[in-house]
Amino acid sequence: MSDFPGVLRDGRERLRARIEPRRRPLLVAAAAVTAVAALLPWSVPGVGYTNPLPGDLGSVGLGGHRLYVFVLALVCLVGLTNVAGRRRMATACALGALVISVIALYSLIKQGGGTGAAGVGAWVGTVGSLVLLAVTDTLPTGPPNRLPRLAAPAAVGAIVVVVGVLLAAVVIGLGIDDETQFLCFAIFVGALIAAAGALGVFAAFREAFDQYRAVGYAVALAAAVAFPFTQGTNATWDAVFARVGVFAAAAIGLNVVVGLAGLLDLGYIAFFGIGGYVSALLSDAVFTTVHVHVPFLVVFPLGAMVAGLIGVAFGAPTLRLRGDYLAIVTLGFGEIFRIVVQNWTGLTQGPNGISGIPDLRLPGFLGGMQFGKPHTVFGVSMPFQANYVFLDIVLVIFVMLVFARLNDSRIGRAWVAIREDELAARAMGINTIALKLLAFGIGATLAGAAGTINAHIGESVTPDDYQFIASALLLSAVVLGGMGTVPGAVLGAALLIGLPEKLRFVQDYRLFLFGLALVLLMRFRPEGLIVSRRRQREFHEGGSGADAMSQPAQVAPV
Amino acid sequence: MTAQPVATATPLLQAHGVSKRFGGLLAVNNVDFVVNQGEIVGLIGPNGAGKTTFFNCLTGMVVPTSGRIVYGDAEIFGASSGWRKALSRRDVHAHTPDQITKIGLARTFQNIRLFPNMTVLENVLVGRHCRTREGVLSAVGRGPRFHRTEREARERAVELLQFVGLRRDADELARGLPYGDQRRLEIARALATDPGLLLLDEPTAGMNPAETRATMDLVKKIRDLGLAVIVIEHDMKFIFNLCDKVAVLVQGAKLIEGTPAEVQADPRVIEAYLGTTAEGDAS
Repeated sequence: MSDFPGVLRDGRERLRARIEPRRRPLLVAAAAVTAVAALLPWSVPGVGYTNPLPGDLGSVGLGGHRLYVFVLALVCLVGLTNVAGRRRMATACALGALVISVIALYSLIKQGGGTGAAGVGAWVGTVGSLVLLAVTDTLPTGPPNRLPRLAAPAAVGAIVVVVGVLLAAVVIGLGIDDETQFLCFAIFVGALIAAAGALGVFAAFREAFDQYRAVGYAVALAAAVAFPFTQGTNATWDAVFARVGVFAAAAIGLNVVVGLAGLLDLGYIAFFGIGGYVSALLSDAVFTTVHVHVPFLVVFPLGAMVAGLIGVAFGAPTLRLRGDYLAIVTLGFGEIFRIVVQNWTGLTQGPNGISGIPDLRLPGFLGGMQFGKPHTVFGVSMPFQANYVFLDIVLVIFVMLVFARLNDSRIGRAWVAIREDELAARAMGINTIALKLLAFGIGATLAGAAGTINAHIGESVTPDDYQFIASALLLSAVVLGGMGTVPGAVLGAALLIGLPEKLRFVQDYRLFLFGLALVLLMRFRPEGLIVSRRRQREFHEGGSGADAMSQPAQVAPV
Repeated sequence: MTAQPVATATPLLQAHGVSKRFGGLLAVNNVDFVVNQGEIVGLIGPNGAGKTTFFNCLTGMVVPTSGRIVYGDAEIFGASSGWRKALSRRDVHAHTPDQITKIGLARTFQNIRLFPNMTVLENVLVGRHCRTREGVLSAVGRGPRFHRTEREARERAVELLQFVGLRRDADELARGLPYGDQRRLEIARALATDPGLLLLDEPTAGMNPAETRATMDLVKKIRDLGLAVIVIEHDMKFIFNLCDKVAVLVQGAKLIEGTPAEVQADPRVIEAYLGTTAEGDAS
C-alpha cells in the first residue's frame, strides 16, 4: 500500500522549499492577483443562469462573494509583517478565499451548464487564492499574538466592539436569503474570527471580560435583547432564537451533569420532556384529555420539580454505576420515557401528543402579559415570538446563575474532584453518591424548567420530540461549545439548532455533518470552541506534569 | 533512639482482631493495633505484607471480614447487632470512607492521588468539604454566611499550604508540581479535613534524601499540632528516627510491636525481610 499521507507531506515540503526564498514577492503578487480578480466580472454575459446570480456576480465591482475574497486576500498581506500569529491569520484567510472562490466557481458552472459559464474573475480568483494558500503555508509557525493589556476605558470599549461586531455579523448573516451566499458569508466570518483569534483579540477580550465582568455581562445581555429589535416584524429568526434559548438552558443544565460531575447522561432529553409534558397537561391545550389550566408561574417550578424528583428517583439506584455503564442505563431511561408517553394514551394522547398548547399568559404580572400578541417597544413592533425570546433570556440568565454559582462553591469543587478521582474524593470526605445524585437532580431540574417553556414555544409536545437524537444533539452542543463553560453551551446550542435552519442542505445531512464537525473538533480543538480556564490548562499545559503524576511510587524494601 | 513516652496515653484508635480475606488470601490476619493520642506509629513489613490493605480497612476503602475498629468514641467497624443487624442482614457494620474521614481519619495514598487538573489551592479546599455545610440554596443565594464560610475555608487552606511549604504554588495545577511537592500537597489536603489521626502511605517514596528529611520534619510538626500519625514506610532510617512505636506486619499478621529499639533488635524482623537460609526468600 502506498503511503498516501506521506506522499502528500513530501509534496508539501518540496513546494515549501521552492516558495520559501521568493515568499515576499510571491505573496504580494498572489494577493494582488486575487484582489484584482475579485474586481473582474465573475459571470459571463449572455449565459442563461438557472438562478438569479447571487451577490451581483455579473458586473464589475464588489459585493457578496467578491467582497469577501477581496478583503481576505488583502488580510493575507499580514504575512509581510512581523506580527506573531501571522501564519495562522494568513492561512485562515487564504483558505477562506479559496473555499469561497471554489463555491462561486462551482455554482456558476452548475447553473450556467458548463465551464464556459464561469467568468475570468472566478478562474483567476480561484487560482490566485490557491497560490496564496501555498505561499502563506511557508510562513513560520509560532504562538498566537498577545495584545497588550488594555486600560479601563479601552477594555470596556473592546468588550462593546467585539460583542457588537458579533451581533452585527449574526444579523447580517441571517439577513442573507440565498443559501450559497450565506455559506460564503459564514466562511468569510469564520476566517476573520480565526484571524482575529491568532491576532490575540479574543484572549484580550477574555481578559477584559474577566476584569470587568459586570460590564461584560451587561453588554452581552444588551446584545441578546437587541436581537429581536433588529429583526423588526420578521418572525422567522425570533422563532428560531426562542428554540435556541430553551435548548441553551437545557444544555447548561446538562453541563452540570457532564461538564462538572463528569457523568455521561445520554437520556437527558427525557427530563426536558417531563417538564414539557407537565406544562402541556396543565395548560388546557386544545387537544388534550386533561382540561385544567394552572397559572404558568406555578407550572414552571412544578415542572422543574417533577423532573428533578424523577431524576433523583432514577439516579439513586443507577449512579453507583460508572462510565459506560451509566451511559447505557441513562440511554435506556431516555427511551423508557419516550415509550411511556407514546403508550399512555389516556394521559398523553400517545403518538399524537398534546397540541394546541395556548400561548403563555401571565395575568397580573407587569400589568398582564400576553405572549401570543405582537408588541411594540420603543417604536419597534415585534411579532409575538419576540416575547418568548425575552422570556428565554430571563430563563438563560437564571440557569447561568445557578450553574456559575454552584461551580464556584464547595459543591462545584466536589463535583470536579469526583470527576478527577472518585476514590480520592471519597477519601477526602466527599459523599460521592449524594453529590452525584445532586448533580443529576439539578441537571434534571434545569432541563424540566426549560421544558415547560419549550412546550409553549413549540405549541405541541409529542413523543417524537424527545428521541435519543435530541439527547445526542444537546450533548454535542455541550461538547462542541466547550465542556464546563456557560457561553460554550449557549454557542453550541445556537450552532446546532440555528445553523440547520439557515442551511437547508445541512438539515438533510445534519447528523453526518455534526459527526464530522465533532471529529474535526476532537482532532484540532479537543477542549471545545470556548474553553473553561480549567480545561485550557488540562489540554495545553505540558505533558511532563502528567508524567510525574503517574510515576510509579514503588521502591524496593530495605 | 528511644521512644518518647507520651504524657497522655489515651488510646485514640483501637483495632481488635482485624482480618481481611480476599477469596483464599488472608491479606490481614487478626491484627491488634493501638494508636495513642499524639503518637507517631510506624507500620513496616515486606512488600505484600498487607500494610496498605490494613490502611484501607482503617479508612473504609475495604470492608474488613471481621474484627472491631474504634476511633475515640466512634465504632468505625464492628459486629452488627440489634436493629442494625436486622435491617442490613449483614454480620458486620462499616462506615463509608467519607464518613470515616468525617469522624477524623485522613489519609494519603501510596501512588499519589491528587486531583490533577485542579489547582493546588482547590485540592486543599476539597479537603475542607466535609467541614463546611453550605448547600445548594446557600451557594446559589450567596448570603453573607456563604461568603464567610468560603473565606474561612480559603484562609485555612492557605494556612495549610504555608504549613507544608507550598504557599507560593497555590495557583499551579496539582499535576504541574514536582513529585515531592505532590506528596506534600496530599498531606496538606488530608490535613484540611481536620483529622485527629493522619495515615501516611509511603510518604517519602521516590524522594531524595533532602526531601525525605523535610518530610520527616513535617511529620514531627504535624505531631506537635496534637495529631496522631501512622506511617507506612520502607525507609528504615525514616521510621526508626521518627516513630514512637513500630509495628511489623508479615504475611498479614502482626509479628511484633514495640519501640524502634526493640523492633530493630529483634531477629525475627530481619528474618522476615531477608528470609532464613532454610526457607529462602520470604518476600
